[in-house]
Amino acid sequence: MRFRDSLRTALLGVRHARLRSALTMLGIVIGIASVILLMSLGDSAQKLILGQIKGIGSNLVFVVPGANKSSRFAPPPSVQGIVIKTLTERDLEALRREPSILRAAAEVHGQARAIYLQNDVSVVYGGYPEEFFSIINLEFSKGRAFTKEEVDSFGRVAVMGSNIAKTLFGEMDPIGKSFRLNTISFTVVGILKEKGSGPLGVNYDDLVAVPITVAQKQLLGINYYNASIFMEADSAYNTDYVKSRVTSILRQTHSITDPNKDDFTVRSQEDIVSLLGDITSILTMFLTSIAFISLVVGGIGIMNIMLVSVVERTKEIGLRKAVGATDKDILTQFLWESVILTSAGGIGGILIGGGLVVAIYFALSRFLSTGWVFSLPPNAILLSVAVATFTGVVFGLYPARQASKKSPIEALRYE
Amino acid sequence: MIAVKNIEKTYNVDGVETQALRGVSFEIQKGEFVAIMGPSGSGKSTLLHVMGFLDRPTAGSYVVLQKRMEELSDDQLAFFRNKEMGFVFQSFNLLSRSSVFENVELPLLYSDVPHGRRRHLVEEAVRAVGLEEKLWVEAGRLSGGQQQRVAIARALVNDPGIIFADEPTGNLDSQSGAQVMSILKTLNKNGKTVILVTHETYTSEFARRLIKLLDGKIEYDGPIMHQRNSSEEFFK
Repeated sequence: MRFRDSLRTALLGVRHARLRSALTMLGIVIGIASVILLMSLGDSAQKLILGQIKGIGSNLVFVVPGANKSSRFAPPPSVQGIVIKTLTERDLEALRREPSILRAAAEVHGQARAIYLQNDVSVVYGGYPEEFFSIINLEFSKGRAFTKEEVDSFGRVAVMGSNIAKTLFGEMDPIGKSFRLNTISFTVVGILKEKGSGPLGVNYDDLVAVPITVAQKQLLGINYYNASIFMEADSAYNTDYVKSRVTSILRQTHSITDPNKDDFTVRSQEDIVSLLGDITSILTMFLTSIAFISLVVGGIGIMNIMLVSVVERTKEIGLRKAVGATDKDILTQFLWESVILTSAGGIGGILIGGGLVVAIYFALSRFLSTGWVFSLPPNAILLSVAVATFTGVVFGLYPARQASKKSPIEALRYE
Repeated sequence: MIAVKNIEKTYNVDGVETQALRGVSFEIQKGEFVAIMGPSGSGKSTLLHVMGFLDRPTAGSYVVLQKRMEELSDDQLAFFRNKEMGFVFQSFNLLSRSSVFENVELPLLYSDVPHGRRRHLVEEAVRAVGLEEKLWVEAGRLSGGQQQRVAIARALVNDPGIIFADEPTGNLDSQSGAQVMSILKTLNKNGKTVILVTHETYTSEFARRLIKLLDGKIEYDGPIMHQRNSSEEFFK
């Protein structure tokens, strides 16, 4: 039997049971649409998150207090509430002398009540040097950053994220207004543009930034850096080299000889990007594998219907054999039918899944200030087509074999 | 052309053996019109299935067109069914949702007839049974007699040497039955060997030779004894 005739015969078979074919395809349509949808959304989320991290500047290296040996997925000890006092101004000075490092600055974090008139909210504040805003690439929607003079002279000025400014001051213009962090009064000098979360879990939109001197000595009353030292590496140097330099400098200042006893953790922006990239990839794979289950269910649906169809068409099979069809002709015909069903289902699924991805893009980019990234990865489409066809062959093979094995005479007798 | 020798066929249904044919032997020459008769259960349909390469005998030898059936593979049997044999069944066995054209074309799909020639062959076969007006009508919408004529066209389309007809008038009214029988008679006149299974005496009278089966054995093999006037009665 010629290829063209074989395909045409199968198409007729599918067409003669239109409603049943459509319902059978539905399982595959839903399965493929969910695979496309989840792979695309996962990819978009990944691009969004990684884009935000890359947006904070380039060639950044961070040192956080406390060792982190267990795994790169474990949070640093400071996040777990353990107070580690090992990062000090001596470390910062030593790092500033390292030629592969362009700039180095420290930060401290704390929690306090922010009070303006009747508004009283709990906030996370950060103490930063003046160059913090340029290293992290933070832009201002209003006002300015604090200056070196203000930092050095314990100036009581503050820069605020857009969210917290709105919470505290409502519709009023916060610039020039005074508010209190616990008992100390600050004047607002700048408001940040919306930015979202940073690499160390800080949401800049909710941040209150004050000069590090005030935060460290007056708000916290400590003489170490509880958050991090962050550095901009010279792009002429490889990040791993810079990390190893930072490590050996800190071991020197901390008098550590045994590398297993490090009391700090060095991370680069690249580490964080790859870490978050891995996390989002794993999540996407996890969700996609759930979608594949629905595809398998769809495939079983195809097999089920094909088996019913084979029994129902026993007479037709007998007749075809009587007029000269070989076992292989019958096998091919039924296999084609299931492949046509799954491929058509696959195309439907791609269209519906793609449509949903576009719809979600328009909905999210309107409501999400940070900007949703459109992504419809071509490999998701290729994978879907391959899987749909494969499903057709796998789940169609058994019914097709059943059909081809029917003896012409048994089949003709069947009523 | 056809040589059946000591054919036996035993069915095994749920452990119970039923002997449908118990040593049947005869020869049929090219161009004959043979009627096979017998009460139900006499083995006449089984015999037709074996002769039509649809079923293999349990024992005995069967030679048709110099081919020994036991030496042929299933695919070769399919090939000879396609090329040399045409089948007409009692219940028509058409694809009811396909057109007359598609039904008649069916055997051509399984042979190597080039596309260009197919249309011509189908139209010729459909004209031979007088249904050229209905070429694109869905087979299921035709009357019983018309459906059986489509089935005959399908049996003819590959120009086989032998036509097997299994109770072809069993589901038809007498007028349609007569029409079908006269088509078969014309085919025989034009050189086709026709082998007809029937239990209706008047149908068998279109044949020139009668093989009567009883309990899987030949009871009579010889010329038809024409009952006077029965043919004329049939046409009334």
